[in-house]
Amino acid sequence: MAEETRRTRPPLWRDLRVLRVVAQVVAIAVVGIVAYVLWFNLTNNLRTAGLPTDFDFLTQPLGVDIAGSDLSPGAAIWRGLLVGVKNTLALVVVGIPVLTVIGLVVGIARLSTNWLVAKAAGLYVEVLRNIPPLLIIFFAFNAVILRLPVLQESINIADLVIINNRYLAVVGLTAQPNFGPFLWILAVALALAIGVWSWRTRRSDRTGKSHHRVLWSLGLLIGVGLVGFLALGGPIGLSRPVLDGRALVGGYVGLASYFAVLAALALYTASHVAEIVRGSILAVPKGQTEASNALALTSFQRLRHVVLPQAMRIAIPPIISQYLNFTKNTSLAIAIGYAEITRITFQTIGNGQPAPQMIAILMALYLAFSLTISLVVNLVNRRLQLVTR
Amino acid sequence: MTIEAPVVDETQIAVEPARGPWDWAMKNLFNTWYNTLLTLVLGGVFVWALVALVPGLLGADFEIVRVNLRLFMVGQFPVDLLWRPWLTTFLIAILIGLMAGSIAAGARDLAEEAGLPYAATTFRQILLRFWPLIALVIIILGFTTTITPTLLTVAAASLGLGAYYLGRAQPRWVRRWTWLLAILLILGAYLALAGFGGVGWEDWGGLQLNLFLTVAGIMFAFPLGLALALGRRSSFPVVKTISVAYIEFIRGVPLITLLLAGFLALGFLLPRDLRPGFVTRMLIAIVLFESAYIAEVIRGGLQAVPSGQVEAAQAVGLPAWRTMRLIVLPQALRATIPAMVGQFISLFKDTTLVAILGVTELLDATFIVNSQPDFLGQGLFVLTLAFAGLVFWVGSYTMSREARRLERKLGVGER
Amino acid sequence: MTPQSVYSDATRTTGDAIIELVGVDKFFGHFHALKDINMSVGLQEVVVVIGPSGGGKSTLIRCINRLEKHDRGRIVVDGVEVSDDLRNIQEVRRETGMVFQQFNLFPHLTVLDNVTLAPHQVRKLPKKEAETLAMQTLERVKIPEQARKYPGQLSGGQQQRVAIARALAMQPKVMLFDEPTSALDPEMIKEVLDVMVELAEGGMTMIVVTHEMSFARAVANRVVFMAEGEIVEVGTPEHFFTNPQEDRTKLFLSQIL
Repeated sequence: MAEETRRTRPPLWRDLRVLRVVAQVVAIAVVGIVAYVLWFNLTNNLRTAGLPTDFDFLTQPLGVDIAGSDLSPGAAIWRGLLVGVKNTLALVVVGIPVLTVIGLVVGIARLSTNWLVAKAAGLYVEVLRNIPPLLIIFFAFNAVILRLPVLQESINIADLVIINNRYLAVVGLTAQPNFGPFLWILAVALALAIGVWSWRTRRSDRTGKSHHRVLWSLGLLIGVGLVGFLALGGPIGLSRPVLDGRALVGGYVGLASYFAVLAALALYTASHVAEIVRGSILAVPKGQTEASNALALTSFQRLRHVVLPQAMRIAIPPIISQYLNFTKNTSLAIAIGYAEITRITFQTIGNGQPAPQMIAILMALYLAFSLTISLVVNLVNRRLQLVTR
Repeated sequence: MTIEAPVVDETQIAVEPARGPWDWAMKNLFNTWYNTLLTLVLGGVFVWALVALVPGLLGADFEIVRVNLRLFMVGQFPVDLLWRPWLTTFLIAILIGLMAGSIAAGARDLAEEAGLPYAATTFRQILLRFWPLIALVIIILGFTTTITPTLLTVAAASLGLGAYYLGRAQPRWVRRWTWLLAILLILGAYLALAGFGGVGWEDWGGLQLNLFLTVAGIMFAFPLGLALALGRRSSFPVVKTISVAYIEFIRGVPLITLLLAGFLALGFLLPRDLRPGFVTRMLIAIVLFESAYIAEVIRGGLQAVPSGQVEAAQAVGLPAWRTMRLIVLPQALRATIPAMVGQFISLFKDTTLVAILGVTELLDATFIVNSQPDFLGQGLFVLTLAFAGLVFWVGSYTMSREARRLERKLGVGER
Repeated sequence: MTPQSVYSDATRTTGDAIIELVGVDKFFGHFHALKDINMSVGLQEVVVVIGPSGGGKSTLIRCINRLEKHDRGRIVVDGVEVSDDLRNIQEVRRETGMVFQQFNLFPHLTVLDNVTLAPHQVRKLPKKEAETLAMQTLERVKIPEQARKYPGQLSGGQQQRVAIARALAMQPKVMLFDEPTSALDPEMIKEVLDVMVELAEGGMTMIVVTHEMSFARAVANRVVFMAEGEIVEVGTPEHFFTNPQEDRTKLFLSQIL
């Protein structure tokens, strides 16, 4: 046998096993050479320009002011980047729930039996989806925010909201005496509500009667909370925003540029989410509805138990990839000067720091965001697949 | 609010014919108390918006757009060379007409062979499909001050129409070579702008630059994306790893970071005497970015080709490379056409990002004009952004509708 | 009983061995798909392979033209060993035609182009000659009138006949059939089997994986029963359907007949 195989061994250039190895070695060599040439140029050019070739410069002073932050220009660069990360996350963390809600409502509205509602939702989707997000941001900032009055002439709505062309402040909540005990009461109420929920569910499973568990649990939570609030003499108070000379104090104050980016990108991304939601509901096969009708389910039961669970399975992966797009698009905030990471990186480079390293850090940060979201996507996908098969 | 069931009970539709607007409104607007409420609220908002916004927009003085129309369209292109963009427009009109004609002829022949009736596209269908585009052209022409642009536009449209009929009348064997003519026309369209004493792309601007970056971006990214897609499906672990790493890296970072890299860091990566121009650097960044997305689009198409196709090709003795070229790619690429149009649209919108780095494409031009002495500080951003938004919207909307039409026609997603 | 002993009493018909498998093993991961297969097929012989699904029938014939790579043993087709040698693989594929369960016609090519492709691209026949040849083979499978249509416009039976024509146009020495009628509606099975019977009567060497026992009875020189990756029993159709020896064979036949 061994003899025979030796006899039939083909010449090297026709041997599949050899060719496989050669092809891969060539691939490595090509990539390696390109990488080496780039690296060679990079280090050479950096040295010639008198710039550092490592990352030690991150501890040097920032040298610039960051809009909306009290970090001094003397702080280290890495601390400036941290502020940028915080500001980017502020967009992501608030934006994702907001765009999800808008997207869900509009997507479902497109399938409404109400002609006007369906058409309005369709108009929203078709208009927003086909305009560059950057243009929407510019519109929100240059055509809306910047036309608002200046700080001294702020619009004041019943001391609840104060708007001007730099800040937006809304009334906030503050802790009063007895806030701690109130939190404990709320926690107990929540535990009770969960208990009631499971009791109503079990009772319904046993007897077949309707459970009304939302009504029971929520009623309990609100009832106990209200009684506690009154009994403790108002443990939570309001903090109204006030115009104090050249600053806004009290309440929640945010930069107008933040809200411009948030609104523009949330509205833009929501238009894509709405399309996904609509498509997913329509993608549930006809036979499912027919089977539900044959079982005499009501239209609510059909949606709740048959159509929506299946539509969710189709919708969730693409919606999460829209979250990814939203996260990446927050980088467009650089255009109107909101100090997220891209903006701060740009400023730092403008201040004489080496561009290659700064951009490498910037990309690494976005990759970290993306990978985190991808990880969630994969987990969700695996979960969904387990459910189907 | 209720969701209309994915399947409406068909018997209901069948037995209830429309009986006039009153019945229609009762059924579609006021059928339940909450629908009535929604209708009233939304209707109120619409009426308010109409009353509040439309007179302002219609009554607005679009002087800022009228004066700067040329800047919006072609940037700082020299006035005495304006015949060049027009020549390009003509060539592109011929290209589009010719391709549309060839495709129509192909569909006609296919229908004939199958013995099915073939309905040529009617003028009414064209109007229904392209009304936003036609309206936009009319609006833009409305901003011009002389009759010349209108006449030239009519000439371009006529050329396109002529090319369409010519394309449809081609005999089969000529049609086989139409792609060659198409490449020549694209090359000619470029040379008309830049060749023989023209203006290179470094000095282009306005909508022309957006279109150029989109078309060139996709064209140059395509071969790279194809290679990456094949690499990602390769059975060689090394090749596969490299492709996956590149694709996932690019898809994980925003385009603006690559543009920044092209703007600020590319110079460090190249030999010192190689200093590409501004627009070229943006184009390089766009191509690197887009290739990863195109790779994913093509990968989707490759996945749509059943493995039996490769096996059948191998079984008749086709070598690997020809199996790819003759069997797999034709099917895979055909299936990717709608997604590719989608990629084209998204890049068209993304080309606005170069404005952040100060390249005077259309969006950037809307800012430049607001700092002209005549218009400074008058808050005319609403008008200029609305104009630019309309241009982008019409382009994207028309293309996305055509992509959806193609998708239905190709039956992608049905299989 | 080892497969060899069954093999030795099997009926050998005409000619020398054109396909020879010696000690062939095939693994999919840890799954042992083919276990020490020894078999030889003579010139102009028709061998029908039957057995329960998952028993290795398809894997066996897919190893013969290297759609699957075998892990141990030797496979020789018309004097050419199926090995890692690219030239050998191409040579074996040129000499063997294959027909698939799912037809696997190229949907983007017309029927004529489907049949012309390989003779033109692989055998390097001039386009005109390849087309003449293609029309002749289409006549053999009795659908020359469909030549200009696309596969999607044909019925399943017609598609499978085109697939046979596509394989025949390469003028192969051996034809491999992988459950050619399993994906067809009952009324279309006959038109495909008729073509296959004619082919067998014309002296084509064939290995056919099928569940059509009538075909096996009518045409086969030998029937091979495979289960769990092994050749369990080999014999003439008469032997097989009247007097099977192995318990597994009896069980299988009782289930399908």
